[in-house]
Amino acid sequence: MISRAVVSVSMKRSRITADIFIPLGFIILLLVGWEYIVKLRSIPDWILPGPVQVVRTFVDNAPLIAKHAQSTMIECLAGFALAILFSFIVVFLMDEISLFRKALYPLIIASQTIPIVSVAPLFIIWFGYGMLPKIIVVVLVCFFPIAISLLSGLAAVDNDYLELFRSMQAGRIKIFRMVKLPLAMPAFFSGLRISAAYSVMGAVIGEWLGAKQGLGIYMTLSQRSFQVDRVFAAILAVTVLSAALFLLVSLIERVVIPWNRLNEK
Amino acid sequence: MPEIVVEGVSKTLGGMLTLGGVNLKAGDRDFAGILGPSGCGKSTLFNIISGLMRPDQGRVYIDGLDVTGRTGRVSYMRQKDLLLPSLNIVENVSIPLALKGMPKKRACAQAAAHFKQFGLDGFEKYYPSQLSGGMRQRAAMLRTYLFSSDILLLDEPFASLDAITKRKMQAWLIEVFNAISPTVMYITHDVDEALYLCDRIYVLSACPTVVKLEITVPFCRPPHGRTIVDREYGVIRDKVMEALEI
Repeated sequence: MISRAVVSVSMKRSRITADIFIPLGFIILLLVGWEYIVKLRSIPDWILPGPVQVVRTFVDNAPLIAKHAQSTMIECLAGFALAILFSFIVVFLMDEISLFRKALYPLIIASQTIPIVSVAPLFIIWFGYGMLPKIIVVVLVCFFPIAISLLSGLAAVDNDYLELFRSMQAGRIKIFRMVKLPLAMPAFFSGLRISAAYSVMGAVIGEWLGAKQGLGIYMTLSQRSFQVDRVFAAILAVTVLSAALFLLVSLIERVVIPWNRLNEK
Repeated sequence: MPEIVVEGVSKTLGGMLTLGGVNLKAGDRDFAGILGPSGCGKSTLFNIISGLMRPDQGRVYIDGLDVTGRTGRVSYMRQKDLLLPSLNIVENVSIPLALKGMPKKRACAQAAAHFKQFGLDGFEKYYPSQLSGGMRQRAAMLRTYLFSSDILLLDEPFASLDAITKRKMQAWLIEVFNAISPTVMYITHDVDEALYLCDRIYVLSACPTVVKLEITVPFCRPPHGRTIVDREYGVIRDKVMEALEI
């Protein structure tokens, strides 16, 4: 018994080592290689700065980047929240009313073939340089993964569950709330995690084309003045924001559906 | 007096005559077994008795009342436990009470009162995935029982369990049956299980399904749970096997 416990602890430790230290080591290796090549070939900063220079720029410009990141984050969260709200409403209607499903499903799939960069300028023409057009872009980017994962999660619910609850005289709304929604939650959260990572990208694309503030416009301006180190610093900020949002969603998932982790074991 | 009467029920599914006029009866405190080849429409029969499906012809009477095509009187337990992974066991089991309008707290308390009898004592707060297959089936049976305590429809409840667990569950079911004495209809395609548990066995034919043989079992549910030693056992078993064309 004791030896088994020891084995399992050491196994757990070795798994953590594998999960954290191997990717971390690989990243460090890449960064060192990057720095080495930049130094060795003495590539000028305006073409490709080394990681050390990028970090230095990031730290020096931290207050400015933070200000831009703040706008980007607000657009992200607003767009993300709206996307969740819309996808819930649309998916509920599609799931409950087959007419909606038949009418909307092809449209939702087809909408994904429209390149977002081609419609984003239109939003600026229609809604100006404020936050609204960026929020719309984020909503468009996030809606699809959330809606599709929720929809397929609901469709995957075993019909026997529905029959059992019907035989116990549960109404449609009750079946949706008690059975379908909880069973679809794991799929919903996997879609949510994907769109959390996308949402920052959506906001940045929106800002590229013109904004008063935000990491996207900071990036464009830096690029135009050949301050490539600033572009990389902005990329670093975008990455950090995306990762933070991704972690936030994972954390919420743990709180909302704690039982799902039991199933994964 | 809990009594199920199925009268001349026929049903065509997907263009094929599945049930071709089935007559069955399970009287008060009967343990009626329904044996038949797989795909012969046994589950369709339960869907009709529980009111989920309307028969093309024939009627279903429970307690003398015509309940054809109406849900709400009985629910049935399936081979799959169908417990919700999002709820703990006591919440899962109390669902039928909550659906009947009982406040959640009271429903849970009432469900918990049966946990000892159903061998789930101490596991109230566990989630389904933390329980063994046998325990999950017991929980599913308790849920069925709480929906209608005098009639239990069981559709191959132990088919997914391993042989040893299955044997234990059968012995346990006899114990519960003796304690609460409900009317039971039990679908299975295990001849020995039927002979072990049931007072009466209906052997169904292949599609279109009709009752091929109705037989009374004199030695059912021995309290010792061991092998049944009875001269008649072989005779009845052979009759059932013959009807099943084995």
